[in-house]
Amino acid sequence: MTINPIHLEKLKKILGSEGWIDDQTDMPSFLREPRDKYQGNTPLILMPDSTEKTAEIVRYCAQNKIPLVPQGGNSGLVGGAIPTGEILLSLKRLKAIRQQDARNLTITVEAGCILSHIQELAQEMNCLFPLSLAAEGSCMIGGNISTNAGGVNVLHYGNMRNLVLGLEVVLPNGETWHGLGGLRKDNTGYDLKQLFIGAEGSLGIITAATLKLSPHPHEKQTAFVAVPDPDAAVNLLSIARNISGDCLTAFEIIPRLGIDMVTDNIPGSRDPMTQTYDWYILLEGTSSLSRDLLDLEAVMERILSTGLDDGLILDGVIAKNITESNNLWQLRENLSEAQKFEGGSIKHDISVPISAIPAFLIEAGMAVETSIPGARPVPFGHLGDGNLHYNISQPKHMARQAFLDQWESLNQSVHDVVDKFNGSFSAEHGIGRMKTDDMLRYKSKVEMAMMTKIKHTLDPHNIMNPGVIVRK
Amino acid sequence: MKILVPVKRVIDYNVKVRVKADNTGVELANVKMSMNPFDEIAVEEALRIKEAGNAEEIIVVSIGPAQAQETLRTALAMGADRAILVKTDDLVEPLAVAKILKAIVAEETPELVILGKQAIDDDCNQTGQMLAALLEWPQGTFASEVKLGEGTVNVTREVDGGLETVKLTLPAVVTADLRLNEPRYASLPNIMKAKRKPLDTKEPSDYGVDTARRLTTLKVEEPAKRASGIIVENIAELVTKLRDEAGVI
Repeated sequence: MTINPIHLEKLKKILGSEGWIDDQTDMPSFLREPRDKYQGNTPLILMPDSTEKTAEIVRYCAQNKIPLVPQGGNSGLVGGAIPTGEILLSLKRLKAIRQQDARNLTITVEAGCILSHIQELAQEMNCLFPLSLAAEGSCMIGGNISTNAGGVNVLHYGNMRNLVLGLEVVLPNGETWHGLGGLRKDNTGYDLKQLFIGAEGSLGIITAATLKLSPHPHEKQTAFVAVPDPDAAVNLLSIARNISGDCLTAFEIIPRLGIDMVTDNIPGSRDPMTQTYDWYILLEGTSSLSRDLLDLEAVMERILSTGLDDGLILDGVIAKNITESNNLWQLRENLSEAQKFEGGSIKHDISVPISAIPAFLIEAGMAVETSIPGARPVPFGHLGDGNLHYNISQPKHMARQAFLDQWESLNQSVHDVVDKFNGSFSAEHGIGRMKTDDMLRYKSKVEMAMMTKIKHTLDPHNIMNPGVIVRK
Repeated sequence: MKILVPVKRVIDYNVKVRVKADNTGVELANVKMSMNPFDEIAVEEALRIKEAGNAEEIIVVSIGPAQAQETLRTALAMGADRAILVKTDDLVEPLAVAKILKAIVAEETPELVILGKQAIDDDCNQTGQMLAALLEWPQGTFASEVKLGEGTVNVTREVDGGLETVKLTLPAVVTADLRLNEPRYASLPNIMKAKRKPLDTKEPSDYGVDTARRLTTLKVEEPAKRASGIIVENIAELVTKLRDEAGVI
């Protein structure tokens, strides 16, 4: 695809000299995806600093049928923000904080605000913005919303969809929908904001959002326990939920191989236990009640002692201070990074009903071994949400590229098992350009037809992130 | 031999401390409290000495409010054998702490007292030294290595010029520095066991110590905020700023 240079000059003029990049040497950080799976190309990167300018660009592009790929912090994992010749529209300069309202428990921010910055602002308001994920220091809220981000706190607070109260969106024709607002109840017709959440920029460009905050948690208890197998882990989850009410905020599973990879490859990390076990659970309880009203430590101890008595827990530790809590979380957060030292890794982001996880792991393990004997699955992640990052490290002595060449076929083997358990082949990372084939393979015709109709209605010229989610 | 390890309950190292609006102190309501990190290192060192077969019993003691019990339970969960809480709601200054500890030493007759080199809340760095003086025992402060001998202990100290090793005759006082060891996690079985370990509660008056303060805090203020950095456009501007504003060239 080539875009007429006259258009490029007109678009530059809209933004002025600060607002664009056309020198290829300044572009690599925008065009490379974190896992190096996609290398994009674009003639022009546009960086508007206001909703009005964004709308002006989109209006021009709509009139001239010029395709756009919107991008936030570029930490997506499915190639959804990587242009293939289209103009890249970076929202990084849209970073104003529009409003902070502690009494309404809301904050209104522009799309380019970094997630960790929003977390800090919420904390200053004595509130919590609960979305938390590994890329929080660089990912931007517009991208989080466009991908309906999940992360480690979904168990208690829900994913991004549950945290958005209003949106401001520039539509594919250049009109702006001013849908910001801090209402928790609003049944006036279709809930349009939900359409744009998780749409990966294919229906319009989110420029600002009103986010829902929660009271700040006062107490936190982090524990790391060894369990005999995933079945015991699922039973422990039931016990934890029964005992803790709604205090349980994280329940993450890690296999032994994952702990080995982290302690071998990440300096400063150590196994908190003296013996080794096959499976581990990182669990965390959080409460907004102050200590004199709820003894969270006693709650955690009750969960763990019950698990110990029932044979669901073999051993474990409870963090005795925040440093230890952070170190336990580092074991979990560094899993993806540590895998890089172990050669190629083929990733899956799947979900199945929580009760089906033990059976899924057995079947998926067999499917992997059949496809690539010796490949090493490192399934870890949000067991409490039924969401596993089913990552597979290469066999020890296989050539990296030979293994990575099997990406698609191995994906299909695993996703076929996921499908059998009525699961999802993309639990929290989205579709992007990577999983559009899976859409056709696993989604029903009725579903695909509805999605295509929605896309055509809002974006008849297919200029908004063309090729993601639905092909055309 | 017995080892005595005093531990203090302080604001967790990772908490951003906020000064009270009336400048009388720092905000403690709903703030996460933990064992002073240097004291945790002291507990760990005592445990290692015991595990090496060089001590029979580890007694932990804390002087503070009722909640300091939790700090003692943490030490018991790490592996200490029993605990003494000297309960007081007063802010106890290092000299009074040292006097109470001296009285406990007289009762318990440990041969080694290991303390954190300082508490991270008041940063006094006095208690260990005062205790050694009151007991007229030798002291090895800022320890980065502790090696027991026959009736002696070798303490490697982190001093400005490098490392200094002193040989002390037991009984002695040792204060722990950051690099002495990395404390263990409290394991689940040990946390459960700790609940049944003995914890005695006393008061400063039981030891005949008056904890009245000798110091008056006039005012507590936050450090001055650092101005944020700026990004200069070019080298000429950098040079101008360094010369005219910073006055460094």
